[in-house]
Amino acid sequence: MKAIFYVVRKAVKNAVLDTFRHPARLILYALIGLSLIYGIIMGFTMNAVDYELSKDIRALYGGYLALLHFISIPIMLKGLSSGTSFFSMSDVNNIFSAPLSPKKILIYGVGRQLLSMLFLVICFSSYGGMVMRVFRLSVSNALLLVGGILMTFILVQMITLVIFCISSGHPKRAEFIKYIIYAIPLYTLTVFGVHMFGYGLTIENLFSSMAQPMLAYSPMIGWVHGFIFGLLNHDTTNIAVYGILLLFMTIVSVLIFLYSKLDYYEDVLQGAENNYIFRDSIRTGTMSEAVFLGSRKINVSNTGIGKGHGANTIFYKHLKEGSRRSRFKFLNISTAVLLGVALVTGIAINQLLSFNPFKNTIIYIGVTIICSYVQFFFSAAGDWVKELGKPYIFLIPEDPVKKLIMASATSIIKPFIDASISYIILAVIVGGAIPDIITSILVYGSFGCVYIAANVLAQRIVGMNGNRGIFITFYMSLIFLLMVPGVFLGVMALTHARMFADISATVMGLPIFFWNISISLLIFLMCRNLLNNVE
Amino acid sequence: MINVSHLTKKYGKFKANDNLSFTVKDGEIAVLAGPNGAGKSTAIKCIAGLLRFDGEIEICGHNNKSMEAKQILGYIPEIPAPFELLTVWEHMEFIARAYKLENWEDKANELVKRMELDNKKNKLGKELSKGMQQKISICCALLISPKAVLFDEPFVGLDPHAIKELKSLLTEMKSQGISIIISTHMLESVDEFWDKVFIMMDGKIEAERERRFVEESGENLEELFFNITEKSVTARK
Repeated sequence: MKAIFYVVRKAVKNAVLDTFRHPARLILYALIGLSLIYGIIMGFTMNAVDYELSKDIRALYGGYLALLHFISIPIMLKGLSSGTSFFSMSDVNNIFSAPLSPKKILIYGVGRQLLSMLFLVICFSSYGGMVMRVFRLSVSNALLLVGGILMTFILVQMITLVIFCISSGHPKRAEFIKYIIYAIPLYTLTVFGVHMFGYGLTIENLFSSMAQPMLAYSPMIGWVHGFIFGLLNHDTTNIAVYGILLLFMTIVSVLIFLYSKLDYYEDVLQGAENNYIFRDSIRTGTMSEAVFLGSRKINVSNTGIGKGHGANTIFYKHLKEGSRRSRFKFLNISTAVLLGVALVTGIAINQLLSFNPFKNTIIYIGVTIICSYVQFFFSAAGDWVKELGKPYIFLIPEDPVKKLIMASATSIIKPFIDASISYIILAVIVGGAIPDIITSILVYGSFGCVYIAANVLAQRIVGMNGNRGIFITFYMSLIFLLMVPGVFLGVMALTHARMFADISATVMGLPIFFWNISISLLIFLMCRNLLNNVE
Repeated sequence: MINVSHLTKKYGKFKANDNLSFTVKDGEIAVLAGPNGAGKSTAIKCIAGLLRFDGEIEICGHNNKSMEAKQILGYIPEIPAPFELLTVWEHMEFIARAYKLENWEDKANELVKRMELDNKKNKLGKELSKGMQQKISICCALLISPKAVLFDEPFVGLDPHAIKELKSLLTEMKSQGISIIISTHMLESVDEFWDKVFIMMDGKIEAERERRFVEESGENLEELFFNITEKSVTARK
């Protein structure tokens, strides 16, 4: 174990020293730290929002339970991923071959992951002040909530260890455990949904759905929730029941770990190699599709690009690649997510504001805001970004602007297609004026253009081989800066129209659409030399 | 002809290439040799137009970043990067369409056959081994009938048959008057056909020799390489 402690000590020391050798990274960390401190101070000093939602402690029950799911489920699923998240390639090459107990090595791997997650605990803690103000909690209660998050992190790591011990080398067991993990959020959603939709979509039912005792029955996550809120409400029954359950779970997990025969090196090796390539591709900005595709079998019965001459061959190539990624070409997981988000948001607003005369306007504005935000998470790795990892786009003897537009074409078109599907289905369910629907589709699509343009501009300014952390921070700041004028124009138009009692999503959306398209085009033209070289 | 004049490539204060000047005539095979970190790959990437640099580079009289130069320049990168979701044959089709080639199928067939990829035409890029991916890179670069070709460590990962075929292709290209630059550590693999060698150390060309002079002195490429690099290291100590 001494060797492992030595590695950890040296790795931490060198990481700290390395940070001081890279001033830009240091500034970035300082900014993150300052923003966290700012968040905490603001949370303590701001006035509680005078709104029903903020005062009701039941909103905290729901939000906290959602947070615990958000923390736990992805980590538990990682326990099934052959330990790829625990170990790096250097661990595999150096520690696995050393004469050390596999169990100690596994504890080291899981501990490493726990340390890397501490940052998340700090981030969540920064909301402590705000939560205290909004829900009028005492300092000890806020600390209790933070303690619950920390407790969840530790318990979930322990569960991950057990999952790994049980499933390593047994694909069928892994598959079974995966379904059990999926069943936990499914149970929560079912309990919530049955109550919410069973009693009617009102604010009161929304809150009472969040505070149902049955939500605490789900293993681990629910038990932690029940235990922490038991302490918060001085409910001795809940403290005892969920405390005993958690203690029992801990004892069983430790026993399983101690008596399991571990032989996981082979499972980890392949995963760690893939992980290494994946991280390297993120670091260098050369996303290798092979990492995402893995060993998935792809149908190649229909061969040939078929069309294209010069730069537009890149577009037709992307269409061919898209058809291999998904049978439905442009339709993929982002289409499904967008549709889900649009329907849930739209229907919820429709129910909650059923008597509001501007209900439909608010639906389309609200859905567009939330969906455009969600779109950001799907826009980072568009086809054109993948193209930058290969030399061909730079070598093809064509005008760089043409190449850039053709390489981005599929990424530009996709949001418009996604939005058309989602908004039309939403319109069928909740109704709405045709101009509002069309404008919403255009606005959503135009935000896609802004995301691509911001990415192009960030690549042009920061470069493709720089620090990815700085790149992403810069990219996100650019998105914000590019969007603000359009949104401002939209709000101005809406405010102006309000004076004439003419409120519609079209009035607000059109200025945003025209701004987004104009600024995106301008950036494309300004960055026309991006493909002149790979730097 | 490839003409490199005062090529300097800096990364911050570090000079990866320091004032390189050389010419590779039509039908000439030049070897860029040197230890790890000498700046060979950087020079190749600058000539391919992939990196920013100071100085001038011309491919058959055209600035290396011009469309004319790109149309006649083939580049085989050190790390092959095929499109994971395109088949071997679709790589050929992609290059042919992007470079606006006509009647390319026969040439593509011949290249694919010589690189022993003809029975893997419908295999996806992601399904191929590193060596086969390298073969795709070679086929793509040669399909455009280039007038100048840059090979960055072309023999790494290739099987003996592919090395033999590549050597034969290089000799054919040389006889067709194509200018070729090969960056390599494997000096014995270019021993049969090299015309000119540039030995690089720390971003500079430490020595430039033509084959006939080396042969007249009774040295071979490997001896020359060690003589120059070891002498240079000793001198710096």
